[in-house]
Amino acid sequence: MYSSRTAWLLLSPTLIILGLAGLVPFFYVLYIGFFNWNPLGVNDQMEFISLGDNYRKLVFDNEFIASVWRSIRFAVVTLFFELTLGFLLALSLLSSFPLKSFFRSVHTLPLVIAPIVIGSIFKLFTVQGFGPLPHFLNDWFGYDLNYGRSAAQAFWLIVIMDIWHWTPFVTLTLLAGLSALPQDPYESARIDGANNFQILIYITIPMMIPVLIVVIFIRLMDSLKIVDEVWMLTGGGPGYATRFTGIHIWKEVFEKRFYGYSSAMSILYLYVTIVMCWLLYSVMVSRGKSDDE
Amino acid sequence: MKKILLSLVVSLVSFSAIADDAWWKSAGAPYGGTVLQGITENTPPGNFAADVLAKDFEALTGIKVRLENTSWDQMYDKAIKDMEANSGIYDFVYIEQDIVYSYLDRDFLVNISQSLASNPDIVAPNVSMDDFTTFIDYFKNGDGDVFGVPMEAFIKVYLYRKDLFEAADAKAQFRAQYGYGLDPATTFGQWRDNAEFFTGYCAEKGMECWGTTVQGHTGHPASTYEFLESIAPSFGLYNWGVSDDYQSCVENGGQLNGGRAKAALNFWTQLLPFAPPEALQSTWSEVGSSFAAGRAAQGWVYGENAAWIATDTEKSAVVGKVGVRLPPTADGVMQQAASGNGYIGYFDGGAYGIPHSSKNKEATLLWLQYLGQNEVQADWAIAGGRITHKATYADPKVVAVDAQSDGYFTLMRDTGYLYAGAPAFPFHGAGRSAIDPFIYQALAGDMTPEDALDGACAALDKVMKDLGYQG
Repeated sequence: MYSSRTAWLLLSPTLIILGLAGLVPFFYVLYIGFFNWNPLGVNDQMEFISLGDNYRKLVFDNEFIASVWRSIRFAVVTLFFELTLGFLLALSLLSSFPLKSFFRSVHTLPLVIAPIVIGSIFKLFTVQGFGPLPHFLNDWFGYDLNYGRSAAQAFWLIVIMDIWHWTPFVTLTLLAGLSALPQDPYESARIDGANNFQILIYITIPMMIPVLIVVIFIRLMDSLKIVDEVWMLTGGGPGYATRFTGIHIWKEVFEKRFYGYSSAMSILYLYVTIVMCWLLYSVMVSRGKSDDE
Repeated sequence: MKKILLSLVVSLVSFSAIADDAWWKSAGAPYGGTVLQGITENTPPGNFAADVLAKDFEALTGIKVRLENTSWDQMYDKAIKDMEANSGIYDFVYIEQDIVYSYLDRDFLVNISQSLASNPDIVAPNVSMDDFTTFIDYFKNGDGDVFGVPMEAFIKVYLYRKDLFEAADAKAQFRAQYGYGLDPATTFGQWRDNAEFFTGYCAEKGMECWGTTVQGHTGHPASTYEFLESIAPSFGLYNWGVSDDYQSCVENGGQLNGGRAKAALNFWTQLLPFAPPEALQSTWSEVGSSFAAGRAAQGWVYGENAAWIATDTEKSAVVGKVGVRLPPTADGVMQQAASGNGYIGYFDGGAYGIPHSSKNKEATLLWLQYLGQNEVQADWAIAGGRITHKATYADPKVVAVDAQSDGYFTLMRDTGYLYAGAPAFPFHGAGRSAIDPFIYQALAGDMTPEDALDGACAALDKVMKDLGYQG
């Protein structure tokens, strides 16, 4: 039997690393958010303004607000497609078909590629003039793909890129969940004459809610903080079209160097993310409870 | 007698080379095994420094140089983070001419002149700051002390395809269509006509080429730079249209949304229909690649690319077909530039400097002096289209490449004074970042050039106000 002291001792390396890598930077950013600080300014020193001044300005900052809505829109759209596709693929991977293992391996490949590389691949594939996709789309369908000019094309191209990159994660997680489901309810349902659709709606999906919550959380948080792929593909353009909040904050921090204001931006965006996840969690958990009743 | 004289000269040259080598070996000995970490942009001059000069330096001194050649964005990002955090990752960093004022303002850099004066044992006998062209002045403070050793300097020129412009059928068709002769552009109207003509001409001939380059990436600062540093000055808009009291909107005394600026942006965006389809995703690198691939008949091209486009048969499909000229300018601009009251375009370049956080300052001083030798300049100039030393222009190797590249180096030597570096704004990055989205939107067609510049000047004014520059 280990003592409580031994347990804390064993936990301490993890807690120290978590503290140094997570909590210290977080509190530092929170602290900086109360200051006006830009090293490029006439006054390059940190100047305390108030606890809420930067946050008050943010509420009226149209560029920031627009970037948040853009990010939310992106997250909702990608989440919808990734969940739908991932669920269908996971269901199909439950059954046997030729070359199933090969398909599963190939399908998983995007997951092991770094986001910045994904961005590069899509750029090479879709850039006007050199990329094969615009060439064939134009040749075969007369469609002009030029995401440097079209805001809508740039947005949807990034949506497609994200779906391609992350649907395998959704598939694998849901497949693990589906494989672990108990078989008794299915056998009972079949004896009672339920068809496949009814089994899906009334048995599979309700039983999968805990797994779905985990997947939605992870993907929602990831989508809301997307930076690398977009940076590589469009740089946030054309104009503001793909300037999601992560990129917006990066530009405010590392190009404009408004450290205090950008820190407040980061904290507020973290708050928005947490609130969204909490709302989603509440809705799904209450839905799960009402289904149980 | 001639043979004796020749032998004497060869012996003297060999002896001086051996003597120089001996000095570098002895000066480097105390630092043998030291690893210098540097960061630079992934450009022809930066690659030559990493691939050739760093290896030669290591062989001579035993000091290893690890040069991280990365994208322009990453280079800035990493270097600034390192210097801000004082982490000492980099022993030397690339300082682009336009950012040097921010670095000096924030006291990031070691005073190289003072450091050399304090360490006479490591002052290379064959290196003199007086050997550099006047470009080194951008890296000096008010007292004349050097904070960066120039590693590249070049001008942005008008590059055109001689073969296309000289084609007899093209000449005839152009005259029939426009009523005057086909020539490299000396006016903006002519540029536009050339662009329109060659787009049609190439399509007619089934050639993958268009009338002009446009460095018009709609999500990368390269497009803002092309506008502010090349297009706008040639229309007579200098220093971003920012007044001495840091105002950029016309109503407050600035010029960023004035008539010249709007004419410039209108001209530039109207070239897009005649540019290769990749134009809206093109930074300076892609413009160089597009031109080298034969996809444009004319264009503004950075000089660092001009030499290899004109001479490197492995990379360029237009070797022997490249003409180089000064870009067109609006009325009065050339006179203003010649009198020192304006400039016709951007004198680009950069230097390597030592951050205060460097842990190997003395060894880095040796490395920077190695790069500052006259002896290494010619090959570097050929590889990177850059010249930082006065003597390099006369080097036989450079003279030969100059002839192949239609006199690019001669043009730089003779007309460099008409160009200028970026304005001395400590807020350079912040200001440019405020302007970026408006230029992107004008290029994408989401805003008119007039609205874009009205928005850009308001955004720039806000940044300058927030930073405390406006009274």
